[in-house]
Amino acid sequence: MIEVLDLESRMLPTACTTKLWYASAMDVMQAVDRINELLDSDMGQTSNTSMRIPTALRDAAAIAVRELGVAPSTTALTAAALRTRLEAAVMQAVLDDHFRQYPETRPSLGDLAVAAAELDSHPLAGEPARIRQAALEVEARHPDAEPEDVLLWAEARALPAS
Amino acid sequence: MSHLIVLDNEAVQALSDPSHKKHVHVLSQVQMVAGRKSRDLSVTVVVPTAVRVEAGWDRTVPAWAFLNGLRIGDITLDGRNANIAASIRQGARVSVADAHIGAVIQAATATKVTVITSDPEDIRRVAADKEVNVVSI
Repeated sequence: MIEVLDLESRMLPTACTTKLWYASAMDVMQAVDRINELLDSDMGQTSNTSMRIPTALRDAAAIAVRELGVAPSTTALTAAALRTRLEAAVMQAVLDDHFRQYPETRPSLGDLAVAAAELDSHPLAGEPARIRQAALEVEARHPDAEPEDVLLWAEARALPAS
Repeated sequence: MSHLIVLDNEAVQALSDPSHKKHVHVLSQVQMVAGRKSRDLSVTVVVPTAVRVEAGWDRTVPAWAFLNGLRIGDITLDGRNANIAASIRQGARVSVADAHIGAVIQAATATKVTVITSDPEDIRRVAADKEVNVVSI
């Protein structure tokens, strides 16, 4: 036992090495491919994990499941949330890689605001020029603005002056 | 609220080709989906498999790696969908791919369904009385 513990203490430095391990073993797109494979594979097989989560979060999840019916179980709630975040991370990594290869295809704030309006059936969805103008105005003062900020500004600008 | 986003043939073609004149338009929609997923919103992008056939999207071919990586799910033309699609095709006189889109719309359980398409009239026809958000590209 002492030998095993001694070996582990030499193998496991105090800092997390996950990122370094991936950097040496696979590049980002290989990681994306592997994550996609795993997300598409059989989810019927389960494992106990040693993952630690804050006790308060665990208790809040249990109440949400029991009283609000947000999911069949806390396990299902946790798994669904984890899946959504992994899918988002994978999609963004693929998009970032695409933008590195084809920088001219990166959507502007105006493009994204038009897309948001279309997806949300926003009243201004049929007026892309108005949205793009609003995007230019918002971006000039708020470079980190979100597409939804642009839609709010465009909507405010479209209101008749009282 | 859950949001299902369905791609038609031209949306697939536009997304797959960086030089396509509608590429940035469809890419913007996908970027919005990625952003919303990262905020834990329930948004899913799918392609009916008949659309994938029409578009020539073979998931085993490396040329389609970009779209494969975007987690655009297949909706297969199984027996139930085939029945609905057959009925739509007879009634609306549309392509098999559009009929499959119609079946997806009509069978969807999502709170909101959006179709990104170059043919909004056909999509409204195949949706029949089911509410659908049609984004024209």
